[in-house]
Amino acid sequence: MGSELLVLLVMVGVFAAACFALKWPVSVAMLLASVAGALAGGQGLPIRHLVEGSFGYVDTILTIATAMVFMNGVRASGALEALSVAAIRRFHRRPALLLVLLTLVAMFPGMITGSSSASVLTAGAVVAPVLLLLGLPGEDAAALIAMAGILGMIAPPVNIPAMIIGGGIDMPYVGFELPLLLLTMPLAVASALWFGYRHARRTDREKVLAALDAEALDRYGMRLFLPVILVVALMVLDKALPRVFNLGMPLIFALGAAATAFAGRRFDPFKAAKEAMDQALPVLGILVGVGMFIQVMTLTGVRGLIVVSALSVPPALLYAAIAVTMPLFGAVSAFGAASVLGVPFLLALLDKDQIVTASALSLIAALGDFMPPTALSAIFAAQVVGLDGYGKTLKKLVLPSLAVVAWALAFIVFSKQIRAMY
Amino acid sequence: MKRRYATAILFLALALAAGAVAGASFLSMREPEPIARGPGVSEIRKLSDWFPGLAGGPGDTEVYVLRGEAPGGSMLVLGGTHPNEPAGFLAAVLLVENARVSSGALYVIPRANASAFTHNDPQEAAPQRLHIRTPWGERVFRYGSRATNPLHQWPDPDVYIHASSGQRLSGNETRNLNRGYPGRPDGKLTERVCYGITQLIRKEAVGIAIDLHEASPEYPVNMAVVAHPRAMPVASQVVMGLEMEDIAMRLEPSPVNLRGLTHRELGDHTETLAVLMESPNASQGRLRGRTDEALALTGKDGWYVKAQKLGRLFVPYGEKGHPIEERVGRHLAGIAEFAAAFTREYPDRPLGIEGMPSFEELGEGGLGAFLRRP
Repeated sequence: MGSELLVLLVMVGVFAAACFALKWPVSVAMLLASVAGALAGGQGLPIRHLVEGSFGYVDTILTIATAMVFMNGVRASGALEALSVAAIRRFHRRPALLLVLLTLVAMFPGMITGSSSASVLTAGAVVAPVLLLLGLPGEDAAALIAMAGILGMIAPPVNIPAMIIGGGIDMPYVGFELPLLLLTMPLAVASALWFGYRHARRTDREKVLAALDAEALDRYGMRLFLPVILVVALMVLDKALPRVFNLGMPLIFALGAAATAFAGRRFDPFKAAKEAMDQALPVLGILVGVGMFIQVMTLTGVRGLIVVSALSVPPALLYAAIAVTMPLFGAVSAFGAASVLGVPFLLALLDKDQIVTASALSLIAALGDFMPPTALSAIFAAQVVGLDGYGKTLKKLVLPSLAVVAWALAFIVFSKQIRAMY
Repeated sequence: MKRRYATAILFLALALAAGAVAGASFLSMREPEPIARGPGVSEIRKLSDWFPGLAGGPGDTEVYVLRGEAPGGSMLVLGGTHPNEPAGFLAAVLLVENARVSSGALYVIPRANASAFTHNDPQEAAPQRLHIRTPWGERVFRYGSRATNPLHQWPDPDVYIHASSGQRLSGNETRNLNRGYPGRPDGKLTERVCYGITQLIRKEAVGIAIDLHEASPEYPVNMAVVAHPRAMPVASQVVMGLEMEDIAMRLEPSPVNLRGLTHRELGDHTETLAVLMESPNASQGRLRGRTDEALALTGKDGWYVKAQKLGRLFVPYGEKGHPIEERVGRHLAGIAEFAAAFTREYPDRPLGIEGMPSFEELGEGGLGAFLRRP
């Protein structure tokens, strides 16, 4: 069993050396770490395993790629700046309300699709210019959008980590709506005010209003928003009438991207799509690398080492283990953390209310989307705000993330009392 | 600039080479392993005989029919519902290759989800094949996935909605055969396979249907029979009968609110007595160490031993693991007890099944002693 620890050290060491010392791309570093791990584990060069592992993210990759093309189209058509103008004109006198509403808008696609990336890349990109106009620094705007992304992913009606955790113990996804709302909505309001209010309060909004460029809005009007409305409508119909629509996220984003070409300003759709893929490729590469990394961890027994070590702590430290290991494992995948650690932790907490506990565990697992190197939610949030890197965004998310973990752990500790409330 | 192009071409060539090697490996999974025709097999049919909508497609699969000379009841045994649970598949193979029926009829579907045998689950690092030594050579069996191959059914919805109940599950469960019953003739491939099996049960008036599974040792329902309410009287006799043979088996009622599973839907939508059996399989568990063929065959795993000491498991787990002979033996002993209990409960529909290796015989001789040359 000591050999698994050695393999883990080799994998982490090779990854760190390639990524930080040699400054190679994260995706290449993960590939090298996976190969090194397999060699150290006595598996040779398991090409089949490396390729197979990367296929775990095919659907996610398609969703991200098409969402990026869609958002580039929305931006090029002039819809983003037009929406900023409309929002500021309507709500500039009530910044707190505006911030909360923008946060809920940013959460919405995540609530419908169960994907933080979809949330950040669509509604996140829509609210980003408004947040900047309200006076939020780029890092705070990105952090709020990233947090809205994971809260949207966890808020009902669709919470895929909770479904995965429940599926592991044959618990159907029934009765989760209220505990998930109780978990996420107070955090959404708190995040909006924490990241935004002190900046928005100080901004001279009359001056902002006077400086707005309303050319696109005045020229094209509501037509500009039709692609966004189309995508949101198809997402809702996909869920409301799954037997009729069931298009899937990639096709919905592809249809939305096509619609942007006719909604506002003329632009070259092929150039916009190519730019989108240039932006998306590093993240897509990371996902492929992560897939290989997980496969080799499983192949060599490193996954077992991590899971059993997390479960080995004394009962008193179980909550600490949940708080530390689930977000950390989320660095490779939030859904993976839900499956690999969420299920055993739920089984270790059988004396608690299972629905409330699974809901809270899903929230902690979702924080993995802030964890480098994948950090999908934070990376995309920084991108939609226009930041060069996502390091400062992550720093802004540290304290709120600790508060989210504490909130979720309180739900687990008091799960029976919370269940008795409704 | 030239150097960047050269690097790009090199990486592209490496990716293509890796794709070719992996592709050949993936394609090899489409070749089904031969199953020998045992002395009791009367005919080999296809599931599409009961639901023609499956004919020629990846969901169609062999149905081995073993008829007795005397009339009687009928039993359906499903192996390979989840091809990453090898004891269910191998027990069904041993049944086909060894069993003889004196009264009634036995239907065996060793590869219930034939499509799921053609691939492995990404990031689970499963072995592709199990090699079992026999007195005359080696038999090779595929170790597949829990779910239908996405090349045959794709894409998954974000949320899977079970057709007849509206129950919502994670989207990948849409390819799980044991979440799709009773199935739909116009549904997705997995639902159509479920429909084909349901049609077989209806048209052949199958008296008892047994779905063979395995569960990870940390899963609460393990070393257990899960029974539909109408099957409880028979299942309780089975559990007592197994206790007499020193085979510990729990009896669990089929949950009312968990839909799409054999023990619930086949019992609700047909006249059959629907039951499911679970044996402990470390190679599908979340706590397992090194994942390979040896783990699937022996069940020996240091992390599970540690987890047992920590009180995190629902089955006993020692250094000896739970070898495949023990897990297959549990299933076959259960099937024998079900045939006997069914006959006691419905004496006008006797089920006489002989020739199956016993739990002790499998433990002593190993699986290979009972596998025939195809």
